[in-house]
Amino acid sequence: MGKKELKVAFLLALRSLQRGSRSSVILTILIIGMCFTNMIFLPSMFNGIGQSITKQVVDYEVGNVLVSPKSGDKYVADIGATLDLINGMPGVERATPHFTKGATLKYRQRVLGVTVRAISPNDEKSVSPLYTKMVAGSYLGEADTGEVIIGRPVAGDASIRQEDEFQASLGGVRVGDSINIDYGNGYVKDYRVKGIYFTGWSQADSAVYVTSTDMAMVDPKALDNADYITVKAKPGYSEQFIKNELLAYGVGGTGKVQTTADLLSKSMGRALQSFAIINMVSLVVSIIITTVVLFIVITIKTISSRKQIGILKAIGVDKEVIMHNYGFQVIILGILGIILGIFLTLVLADYMAYNPIVTPEWSATLYVTPMDLLQNSVILFIAAIVAGYVPAYQISREDIQTAMRT
Amino acid sequence: MIIIENLKKIYRMGDVEVNALDGVTLDIAKGEFLGIMGASGSGKTTLLHMLGLLDEPTSGKITIDGVDVGRLNDYEKTQFRLYKLGYVFQDYALVPDLTVMENVSLPAMLRLDRTEEQTHAGSFEVLQKIGLCDRRDHLPRELSGGQQQRVSIARAMVNKPDILFADEPCANLDSENSRLVLDLFKEINEEFHQTIVMVSHEDWHKDYFHRIIRLKDGKIISDGSNGQSA
Ligand SMILES: Nc1ncnc2c1ncn2[C@@H]1O[C@H](COP(=O)(O)OP(=O)(O)O)[C@@H](O)[C@H]1O
Ligand SMILES: [Mg+2]
Repeated sequence: MGKKELKVAFLLALRSLQRGSRSSVILTILIIGMCFTNMIFLPSMFNGIGQSITKQVVDYEVGNVLVSPKSGDKYVADIGATLDLINGMPGVERATPHFTKGATLKYRQRVLGVTVRAISPNDEKSVSPLYTKMVAGSYLGEADTGEVIIGRPVAGDASIRQEDEFQASLGGVRVGDSINIDYGNGYVKDYRVKGIYFTGWSQADSAVYVTSTDMAMVDPKALDNADYITVKAKPGYSEQFIKNELLAYGVGGTGKVQTTADLLSKSMGRALQSFAIINMVSLVVSIIITTVVLFIVITIKTISSRKQIGILKAIGVDKEVIMHNYGFQVIILGILGIILGIFLTLVLADYMAYNPIVTPEWSATLYVTPMDLLQNSVILFIAAIVAGYVPAYQISREDIQTAMRT
Repeated sequence: MIIIENLKKIYRMGDVEVNALDGVTLDIAKGEFLGIMGASGSGKTTLLHMLGLLDEPTSGKITIDGVDVGRLNDYEKTQFRLYKLGYVFQDYALVPDLTVMENVSLPAMLRLDRTEEQTHAGSFEVLQKIGLCDRRDHLPRELSGGQQQRVSIARAMVNKPDILFADEPCANLDSENSRLVLDLFKEINEEFHQTIVMVSHEDWHKDYFHRIIRLKDGKIISDGSNGQSA
């Protein structure tokens, strides 16, 4: 197959697309583009959901690495020394303890069971963006007592009647209001609401936060114990690196050390498996549609020009030229279709970045990496080539006599 | 220059055997304008396809310019057709999506011994010859049948073939256009000393031929120069 042959094959392909049926070309490109988008849409959306969940879990629950009580223990004990140890390790941005306690809130006629999270407000700033999510009032100060910040869903909205509420609330608490917290251990106290926050992560939003200083009055164990310690990694340090480091320094003796990925792979393993199956189905369906469409398009082209192909071969055009003519047509259609598909995907991703599909649990944006685009392009391109070259090969091998006498 | 020895072609259709060619022996000289005539089904196309390397005989031998073409493999045959033979068919068979110029250039573009400039100049020249130079950027569907057939003659001539084959090139044309096409063949034959083998079953075409062979049931029943044959 020489250069001249390829050039002629390319010319034939180009002219056929330029001067042949315009609508068939446009339709084919459209279908390939849609298939590409379909291939990449669901996996990217699942990826987006996964990313958003992961980010929320990191931001509002566990940081990058979580130190939780060893099995059998209720708390991570002796946290003063442990925190000093962890905070001194390279790669650690900050480690901060959480102490939580179930409690009952009372405000006017409303009663609501919530989890009270005790934090060290300043340390927490290095670990969680909670302090940036205040929608009213302000964040907790380091040694605040008698003050609390509450999630917007907990505060509620005075304009919604209790029976119409989607989620039970205190029915419209405002900054400065006083709410009553009963910890169930005999400790009951009125708190001033210092601020109201909204993070979008429902677990955090349906909680209330107090300072550890305050919690120590409720339960003296809070002084030296934690439900868990969240550890935030410095940029550039992997979760795994921090985990290994913690284990190497013996934190494993104090508590159980897990990365966010460890935790998520356990809790989301099932879901991820279902995602993987759905992704695979959408991938396979797209490939089949693309392959079948291109196969039909090229088969119709070859059959309707059977006689002409016979004549071309008769006048000395090699069968390879005939084959690559159709091959090039498929390659051009495939490339244009994929470009359209990438364009559609990026437009969709852009749109969803501004208009995510939001639920209380997660918000879905399209998480598309260049690698995803490349991978899907390559897969679709190969499928296209196979679909085109099969009929092209068949027609190019047809006997001149059979072709010409039709 | 073409030597045909005892050429036979048998088509088998189930149990029935058709002797499309039944022992044809014939020499064709360089520069000859040969007419192959005969009733429909007499084997004209079959003979032309054998000579044009488009089909293989059941038995017999064809030698063109000293080459026993039966010994060539598929690829060599393709190359032989590209470099040495030219074809004009009944239904023009131009590539519908190529312009007149592109159609004519196509066979020349495949030749390794032609530069792009030579291809262009050669196509231009032959288009001038057939008088359709001003239509070079038109598509075949924008031309009349007669014009399309002249383009297909130009395509056959662009590589300056040793032998030009034509299978009933006027079958789809009215008599006026037929005459234009036949005149063109005649001119090419006289001007370039071009060997032409043409199949026809129109009696009045025989005025154009130097020599006429008549086929009947796959056999030559007469062979003579124009005017002498029956
Ligand atoms: N592919 C084929 N299979 C079977 N019979 C064929 C085939 N091609 C031609 N024939 C038969 O061979 C004979 C000669 O055909 P052809 O050369 O086309 O005649 P002509 O061109 O003189 O009209 C006819 O009887 C025709 O039916
Ligand atoms: Mg015939």
